[in-house]
Amino acid sequence: MASNMKAVKTRIKSVQNTMQITRAMELVASSKLRKAKERAETCKPYFRELHRALEEIANGNTDFTSEYTKETGVEQTCYIIIGGDRGLAGGYNNNLFKLMEEHRAEKPCVVLPIGKKPIEYCRRKSYRTLTEAFELTADVSVSDCFTIAKLLCGAYREGIYGHLELVYTRFQSMLSQIPDVVNVLPLPDLIDRETAEKREPVRRLIEYDPDPSTVFDAIVPEYLAGLIYSAVCESLASELAARRNAMDNATKNAEEMIETLNLQYNRARQSSITQEITEIIAGAEEL
Amino acid sequence: MNTFQLKIGTPDGLLFEGEVERVVCRSITGDLAILANHTNYLTAIGEGEAHIVLADGTKRSAACIGGMISMMNGTCHLLPTTWEWKEDIDLQRAQAAKERAEKMLAQGGMDDATYKTVEAKFRRSMVRLGVKNS
Repeated sequence: MASNMKAVKTRIKSVQNTMQITRAMELVASSKLRKAKERAETCKPYFRELHRALEEIANGNTDFTSEYTKETGVEQTCYIIIGGDRGLAGGYNNNLFKLMEEHRAEKPCVVLPIGKKPIEYCRRKSYRTLTEAFELTADVSVSDCFTIAKLLCGAYREGIYGHLELVYTRFQSMLSQIPDVVNVLPLPDLIDRETAEKREPVRRLIEYDPDPSTVFDAIVPEYLAGLIYSAVCESLASELAARRNAMDNATKNAEEMIETLNLQYNRARQSSITQEITEIIAGAEEL
Repeated sequence: MNTFQLKIGTPDGLLFEGEVERVVCRSITGDLAILANHTNYLTAIGEGEAHIVLADGTKRSAACIGGMISMMNGTCHLLPTTWEWKEDIDLQRAQAAKERAEKMLAQGGMDDATYKTVEAKFRRSMVRLGVKNS
């Protein structure tokens, strides 16, 4: 009995230690989250407006002289995956990868991973990557996004890929983060097929100054950079929120575990006392 | 005057949303002004002074660099990379940036990429100073 008590006691100690760690991680995540959330929230309207403006342009577009406005016929899809740098964030990274696999449906692809986990994932799956230079999602700045955008535009023009999709995690609220795929290039991909059919067949003409291909050549890299930056901000906030929730749950589980273990310990202690008393009484009767 | 809906958004947030009479900014080909009922229009923004005239006639200027401006179905989206209201421009910082860039350009001996970045920095600081001092 005594050995059982000791075992339970060590178990309690170790669970307590783990709880301390998860609680500390939760606190770290929530303090970082506050900043990341602010950044994501200031960025969000820009992301929305940018995407909506481009969507409208794609809907009304009748010009196909620019490389960015016509289908290239290249099958290959490029995925930009914005994930986390570290684990212990619940299903955050896995949900992202699952969504990407679902969307890809075994078609050929190249990947531009941002963050350590996506990079590791691509290596494991031996996907072809455009670059693995962006290892820390938290450190990606606006100018990094412009570098990425330039790289992507270059690869697009070379015909390495024909479609560009952005896989990131939308920050819905503190408690819910939803992985999402956004069509980015070419512009016809942006047209919402359902609403497009309802629309009157005559399209509104758009005036491009000085001419469509110059305008798109100048705008598309900026659009990409803006889109990526906003997605990075949102993904980062989502990651921290996911980690905070995961750690919160872990702390609660540990508390529950300690409670049951305490019960077990007390029971063991009581039974050892009872046993001792029985032994003493038995011994006294012998006399 | 007729007014129209304008939204100005940068990665730093949605900076303006409301009815305006006129938007003036510098595109890649030169200055342009947009009034209400403009046809659907799209162009890329260069770098230079921009201003908007609000519905009540007040004028607000800003430094506006990069990005795009679109007019679609009566709503104008101005989505620059940088948009700084005249009153928000840090004069000292712009001045310092200009001097630093000037010095580096005068020294020379840079590779192409660095030269381009420094030159862009110089141009941006000039835009800021121009707006602030106008």
